[in-house]
Amino acid sequence: MAAAPPSRALGGITGNATALRVTAGILIVMAFVPLLHSGYYENLGRSVLMFATLSLGWNIIGGYAGYVSFGNVVFFGLGSYVTAALWQHWHQQSIVLAILCAMVVGVAFALVLGMPILRLRGHYFGIATLGIALATQEIVSNIDWLGAGSGLTVRPVDAYSTYYYAMWIVCAASMLATYLIARSKLGYAFVAIRENEEAAAVLGVDPTRYKVVAWAISAAMAAAAGAVFAGANGFMDPPTAFALDNNVFPIVMAILGGVGTVAGPLVGALILTAINETLWSHFPQIHTLFFGAVIVVVVVFLPRGLLWLFNTRGGWKGIVGSLGAYRV
Amino acid sequence: MQLFWQDLVNGLLVGGIFAVVALGFSLVWGIMNIINLAHGSFVMLGAYLSYVLFSTWHVDPFLSIPIGFVVLFVFGYCIQRFVINFVVRAPILTTFLLTFGLSLLIVNFALLVFHGDVKGITTQYSGSNFSIGGVTIAWVKLWTLIVALVITALMQLWLTRSKTGRAIRAMAMDIDAAQLSGVRVAHLYAIVFGLGAGLAGAAGVLISLSYSLQPSMGDPFVITAFVVCVLGGLGSVQGALLGGLIFGILEAFGSQYIGTGLQDAVALVVLLIVLIVRPRGLLGKATA
Amino acid sequence: MGLLRFGGLLALTVAGSLAFTTAVPAPAAAADDTIVFGAALAATGSTAREGELTKEGYEFWKDYINAHGGIKVGGKTYKVDIKYADDESNPQTAARLVEKFVSEDKVNFILGPYGSANSATAAAVVERLKVPMVEGNGAAQSIFSQGFKYTFAVLAPGTKYLQGILEMAQTLKPKPKTVAIATANDAFSVEVGGGAAAYATAHGMTVIYNNKYPASTTDVSAVVSAIKAVNPDIILNGGHLDEALLLQRTFKEQNVNAKIFGYSVGPDTPDFRKTLGKDANWVFGGTQWSPTAKYQGAAGFISDSKVYAAEFNKKYGHVPDYHNAESTAACLAFQYAIEKAGSLDPLKVRDALQALDVVTFYGILKFDSRGINMYKPMAVNQIQNGNLMTVWPLGVQNAKPMYPTPAWDKR
Repeated sequence: MAAAPPSRALGGITGNATALRVTAGILIVMAFVPLLHSGYYENLGRSVLMFATLSLGWNIIGGYAGYVSFGNVVFFGLGSYVTAALWQHWHQQSIVLAILCAMVVGVAFALVLGMPILRLRGHYFGIATLGIALATQEIVSNIDWLGAGSGLTVRPVDAYSTYYYAMWIVCAASMLATYLIARSKLGYAFVAIRENEEAAAVLGVDPTRYKVVAWAISAAMAAAAGAVFAGANGFMDPPTAFALDNNVFPIVMAILGGVGTVAGPLVGALILTAINETLWSHFPQIHTLFFGAVIVVVVVFLPRGLLWLFNTRGGWKGIVGSLGAYRV
Repeated sequence: MQLFWQDLVNGLLVGGIFAVVALGFSLVWGIMNIINLAHGSFVMLGAYLSYVLFSTWHVDPFLSIPIGFVVLFVFGYCIQRFVINFVVRAPILTTFLLTFGLSLLIVNFALLVFHGDVKGITTQYSGSNFSIGGVTIAWVKLWTLIVALVITALMQLWLTRSKTGRAIRAMAMDIDAAQLSGVRVAHLYAIVFGLGAGLAGAAGVLISLSYSLQPSMGDPFVITAFVVCVLGGLGSVQGALLGGLIFGILEAFGSQYIGTGLQDAVALVVLLIVLIVRPRGLLGKATA
Repeated sequence: MGLLRFGGLLALTVAGSLAFTTAVPAPAAAADDTIVFGAALAATGSTAREGELTKEGYEFWKDYINAHGGIKVGGKTYKVDIKYADDESNPQTAARLVEKFVSEDKVNFILGPYGSANSATAAAVVERLKVPMVEGNGAAQSIFSQGFKYTFAVLAPGTKYLQGILEMAQTLKPKPKTVAIATANDAFSVEVGGGAAAYATAHGMTVIYNNKYPASTTDVSAVVSAIKAVNPDIILNGGHLDEALLLQRTFKEQNVNAKIFGYSVGPDTPDFRKTLGKDANWVFGGTQWSPTAKYQGAAGFISDSKVYAAEFNKKYGHVPDYHNAESTAACLAFQYAIEKAGSLDPLKVRDALQALDVVTFYGILKFDSRGINMYKPMAVNQIQNGNLMTVWPLGVQNAKPMYPTPAWDKR
């Protein structure tokens, strides 16, 4: 393996190699879920894959390039509407067509808006993306061609498990893309921007151009996920397409799993979904309460995400000892 | 033409509330680099406190404002001192996640205690209004704006004149230098967060006069706080005030002249333009 | 070493929680003598309150039926059980829960969630899994325009919500002529507003204002000031409870007067009257049902609305509103359909639902080919001196409408 420069992304630019192999293994196992013939597990698994894809997308701009976006749900929403519009106006059910069109729309949106927005630094970029997401939701609610506030129905294909496989392919492709990008010049440029943007510029990396590319890649992933989701859901309206959950949870998952790694998003998605489902089946009335408590506890004890466990020296004592790394 | 003046007044009145909500949020973000997603839940707690005091002991909400401030201040201080301080030097995302979890906790706890039904406060003077030149102004909203202005002025005074206030501003500029000169950072951080929470609590009391109460009522206000802070400039008291008033007016005019269905979109588009043209906001400092 | 830590933790969490979820013992569905219904209802989230009301309606029916012997299927009597799960007011969660109820927990039938969006996603799932669902809380017609065969709604569709008010207005003197309509931008409310506008225009009234505002908005000043500027005779709102409250308050603050104030949702709920106090008086609301409705229900359940209201009040400490009643009605549809079909087979029960035609305390339960109950009229309530009175149609009226609404400063 090429000598990777030491990076705060735990364990090299792709994250710890063993963690990556384990996670990839889990992903492959997940491909067989439809064979269980359980609608519930399929729905659950598809949800995990969808969130993992959204998280992987966010990870490119937020994790690798270091530009925290609070509005990536806008690409997911646009992708969803592409599928809905394809059915409503042209009676197309093809998932492949939907994914491709959605990616085009998402990338175009990112490119057009990215040029002005990505000049902004830090928090301001984050707010701008949030503003874009909110504004887009409202604008879509007023466009009759897209169903306005009432939404559009989508007829799912008869072989319903196709949506599961499609989501799996989108997730796997996103993860593979992240891996390849991370190890390419693009990936190093992103990290350079994250670590020290001015220095990167001096060394010949045009920050705005690379940031836009990063955002466009994350847009493509999110839009593809949205395209598959819309077909599986059967119905699309603005609150569903641009739901805040789909904005915040992917970020939470990436942080939990390990920001700026390839395996982090999927790990985070699996664990968060597992915790959520467990809590919900045991404490139907107050599961969200416990969920909040779990998040608080996990963040206090694992501020750098799960993958951090890998890199601590000294076993359990080491972990406990480094608890206070961020305290004041 | 009358509609224009009515909209302008409406915008200012609602902008006052936005300003108070945003003020606490801006302080915490500007000084400690913490995006407090639980800010909306603090607002909600302030509103419910006002409701409980009103319905049990008939305490007029205007009198509850200082109570709401103090109670939420203590609450916020404890949260910062005993929870957030553990990870406060971590990247901004970590605290973001933490406050997200706190928000879930607080909102769902409120749901358990108060249940989901919509509550409201209707006093003797609710809805009473007066007219000037064809423009109708509700007394409650006017007093809310006045109180908001007073709170903002007091906060500015305190930050610039008092010893603690100045220590806080020093800490914001350079935490290590401040620590070296004897500033007790952990305590001060907790004070700032407590202030943010207290301001949110006061805002919540003000809001309880005009809006209905539900455990999830705080969420739209967090988003408004975000936008107002950036519009006005982070960490600046006058910025929060100006941003709030302008945002209120933008929404009022946007909804009237472009379409009520688009009222948020208009304001957000303006925000985007401001960000692109003047990234640090209207009154923000030069460094991000 | 790291691998053990990491991989172990990961595998443990994932496998452990999945094992947990399946370890939750599912009650034997229809084993021997119980019919099991699955109901995904909001216990948290923005519609938590309405979800609670829906659950009360379902539970009331279940307790009554079990206390009176149960449902007769063929020659055998079955008890009833309802399993609940929190859909968090989220349509995706509702869909996943319905999926779980049918495929994992193997319930017999599904009772609908609250809200049009959640009903829409649930409807898509039951259509795929071919299990009948009856709902009483999702009125948007778009749910039924997709050719679904397994979903039925006992409530009158959204388009009808405000038409009763306009119908009543035609009989009042002086006859109001101009109408202003404000609707929240969501599926249900838009339908309500559209139905009202169409009816008004077709019956000689002029719609002088017709606009949408963002759903669950925190500020309606622009809408209110625009309405004030055109000075309509009738002001109508298509929206949910929080929007109704905000509008009524803002109307008072901005001193907006009209001969009729009509809301699609709001006046019926006790929260509206409790929160606004005197300011709620004179408001009209379209209602699916009220305790003073004079229907005579068929045998097998409480046949009189007043008795239903009294029993309900005894059990839950508040007079039922129409959310409670329509939820109970959804269960009644199943009850009568199952007894008629004489079987628990999903397809047979579905066919029995489609052919249902029975009067209950709630009104007639009959579904058109789409699954909508087009046959039940909407009544009109008015808040008079703090009490909810049914004022229209004449057949079920128990008070005359108070008209016109006096100006704010003259109350």
